[in-house]
Amino acid sequence: MGDGRMKKAGRLLLLAIVFASVRPALAIPAFARKYGLPCSACHTSWPMLNNFGQTFKDNGYQLGNGRDAPIYQQPEYWPITFRVTPQWHRESNDRVAVDKVAGSAASGQVEASVASSGFDTSGIDILSGGTLSNNISFLVQPFINSGSSSIAQAWVRFDNLARTRWLNVKLGEFELDEPISQERNLLLSNTGGSYYNYFFTPPGDRSFAVLGGNQLGLEISGHSENDYSRYSMALLSTFPSHTYSGYANFTQSFELPKLGLQRIGVYGYLGEAPTYSQTSGGAPIPGAGLGNRSFYRAGAYGMWYVGKFDFDTFYLHGQDNVFLGNSVPANQPSALPPGAAGPAWNGGFIEAHYTYNPRFVLIGKYELIRMSRQANSEIRSDLGNLDNWAVGYRWYPIMNPRGGLAWVQEYSRLLNAGAAPLSGRDDATSSLLMGFDFDF
Amino acid sequence: MKIKDMKTRCVWLAVVVVSATLTCGRWLTSAAAADTSSSGSVTGMVKFDGNPPKASRIDMSSDPNCKSGASTAMTEDVVAGANGSLENVVVFVADGLEGRTFQPPAQPAVLEQKGCSYRPHVVAIQANQKLNVVNSDATTHNIHPMPANNRESNMIQPPGVPLDLTFAREEIAIPVKCNVHPWMRGYIAVFKHPYFAVTGKDGGFELKDLPPGTYTITAWHGKLGTQSQKVTVGAGQNPKLDFVFKQ
Amino acid sequence: MHRMANKTNLTMAFILLFCALTSHAQQSHIGHLVGNAKHGKALYQRYCIFCHGAQGDGNGDSAPYLDPKPRDFTKATFKCRSTPSGDLPLDSDLYDTITRGVHASGMPSWRPLLRQDRTDLVAYIKTFSPRFQEEQPVAPIQIPSEPPTSPDSVKRGGQLFQSMNCGLCHGKEGRGNGPSAASLTDTRGYPIRPFDLTSGTRLKCGDSDTGIFRDLTTGLDGTPMPSFASALKPDQIWDLVHYVATLRAASK
Repeated sequence: MGDGRMKKAGRLLLLAIVFASVRPALAIPAFARKYGLPCSACHTSWPMLNNFGQTFKDNGYQLGNGRDAPIYQQPEYWPITFRVTPQWHRESNDRVAVDKVAGSAASGQVEASVASSGFDTSGIDILSGGTLSNNISFLVQPFINSGSSSIAQAWVRFDNLARTRWLNVKLGEFELDEPISQERNLLLSNTGGSYYNYFFTPPGDRSFAVLGGNQLGLEISGHSENDYSRYSMALLSTFPSHTYSGYANFTQSFELPKLGLQRIGVYGYLGEAPTYSQTSGGAPIPGAGLGNRSFYRAGAYGMWYVGKFDFDTFYLHGQDNVFLGNSVPANQPSALPPGAAGPAWNGGFIEAHYTYNPRFVLIGKYELIRMSRQANSEIRSDLGNLDNWAVGYRWYPIMNPRGGLAWVQEYSRLLNAGAAPLSGRDDATSSLLMGFDFDF
Repeated sequence: MKIKDMKTRCVWLAVVVVSATLTCGRWLTSAAAADTSSSGSVTGMVKFDGNPPKASRIDMSSDPNCKSGASTAMTEDVVAGANGSLENVVVFVADGLEGRTFQPPAQPAVLEQKGCSYRPHVVAIQANQKLNVVNSDATTHNIHPMPANNRESNMIQPPGVPLDLTFAREEIAIPVKCNVHPWMRGYIAVFKHPYFAVTGKDGGFELKDLPPGTYTITAWHGKLGTQSQKVTVGAGQNPKLDFVFKQ
Repeated sequence: MHRMANKTNLTMAFILLFCALTSHAQQSHIGHLVGNAKHGKALYQRYCIFCHGAQGDGNGDSAPYLDPKPRDFTKATFKCRSTPSGDLPLDSDLYDTITRGVHASGMPSWRPLLRQDRTDLVAYIKTFSPRFQEEQPVAPIQIPSEPPTSPDSVKRGGQLFQSMNCGLCHGKEGRGNGPSAASLTDTRGYPIRPFDLTSGTRLKCGDSDTGIFRDLTTGLDGTPMPSFASALKPDQIWDLVHYVATLRAASK
């Protein structure tokens, strides 16, 4: 136990974040084709939804104009959309432990900057979604990247149950009704393309309970007619070991005269994760987790519109149980390190957009996480803290109901406190990206 | 400045404006009241060359109350007499009146629904002249003109209930139909001036009381298109003009 | 002081009158909201242009694939109004259509848009036709309060359904299959079907008894559906409404 192990875990986590493909978000020309509406009707700048588009989504991908059921479509209409993001990008990491002499492990190590660049596609998202019939909607999203594929999302939603828009039930694997949807994300780069607060787990923590990503479960949601009031509650099975978590999100919008629509909300994510497993012959039995201990994430957020500017503000407070935070099985309390406590942290971000017109948008983001309590006294007080800046713009030369093409340029920088492998100094990684976001 | 002066100025301004309008108005309308002794007319015939397309019987069985027309009603796309005279052609002055304005006549024109057909098939009126629509049948019609340049309206008209229409802008010509009896077709031609005529069975027309000048005379038919000819009318002259339409 | 104030008042009154007379078509009024056509134009290009077209003539890129076709604003002929047949709609009629959408057509409900945005859109739509500047706005039709339904009212309504020839288009039972139904076209020449009164589908211009009364009184301009204001008194129109309600109830 000690700094070394923590640092190694932290480094691994860092690498995982840096090189993981960022999940592209959703913008669905198949809907535009179905109704003849332009992309700009639902998206301020796609994939970011405006209130009309958010209402369409909350209605179960239905306009409610009597033409939603597939029977009204031309036989050749396919509710399918492809999204690819062919790009050139450069990634660099300021402090990586490298051999002094390349190829010689015995030559000792120093910290040096490592960079790589090249063309990439970030995989292809295939989205098929819409209505199976009136008030039954679905989404299937296979994701393919470099020969591997997965089903990112697959769900069915029963909409407007008991003829009320306050009761909708979704079942399957789906993205949580996040406070500020990842799908709004206009950035694509490895470093800047996701919200760290949604995925953060402190170094050494084994809960891996995250708001982001896709989860298996059941969601009940509802909204008012103009979508100003929304709620969603989900029961999730995060780990295949009869442990469950719950998520809830409440949003309220209101109009400010001359400024526009503003949204505020609160959310919470509460659950348990196993700390050890039943074993057979010494090997853990999959799905047989034991020693559940709790975690939670909660906070508030706002989406503010001032003419062509809009700002997203987000706050999170997270806390994991001491056993989860120290990766110690709950039946071995003596194995807890000195000063063991449940790690807790605060985080947030502010993201600003300037939508000059539906085809041109400037983006700027700043995000931070600050540990308020580490899992034990041997961990540096600032280990795990991070700061992330990103700036970019998107220009859409093609935007019509048949498809859309955006040209994206962005730069992003992530600073991890104490993550340098040898010196323990802060380590920065950055991404520079330029490419196309092609959705058809 | 004193209120009294302001008020006086307003009053004088009003007086000046009103008298200017009246004077100008009179001057403009006076041009229209032409001196008949020095006016001429254009007369002529409209003929159809060749064999006109055969008219077919209209099936009015969907409404038994149309029986007064049911046995004899024929389509009226091209109605030509035995000697080639072409009916339902609107002949009018298309050019040459140089922006003169004309008051619509006080006497209304009449469009009758009889035997579930429009009588006449083509009616020509002046802008803002009242058109009395009459329902002489024992069944309810709706009167639905479909203008490109005027207000579209659609009114139900039971038997015997009077209904008036007016059109503010020139349009040659507004198709009119009855949706309840979809075979019914008619036209309303609206003019800014009074120099128009619709040919009857004999195919003849006369444009009377034209002031001397050079005019473009146009003949319009609902299915066969338009033709134009230029003519000069001197004082007391009555030039003749014929039009020949083909398939 | 008194005289100075009066002079200012008079000047202001003239200026306001001048502004009102010359610019009333560029504005719209919904409640206390005032619409601005310039902002409405930016909204139109975001939301409306693909169906209704850049010239507002209903020839947007999506129009060939839509049935019914998007409204041609240049003619200023609208289905859902509270004014007599042939007259311009009120600002509130356009606002209500934008808010409600048009059921069983490609026009969605734009309720999620801000009220101010919808008011601005009304102001911009009015710029597509010179009629909004040339014609004086007319008063809406009067809708007297609905008398209660009764077997006699339904019977009278049924007789009116017969004598007004409703059945020739809507069919004897109101199924939309009358002898004239198959040949109906709207004013642009596209085939159009009379409403199936037994279907339970929502009506395009509002689904209440008051909505049906208004449809019968104003007619749906641009379609074969006429106004009955020329022929029937309000009591008779209520009788027709009560009869039509029995046809609709048959489907439930």
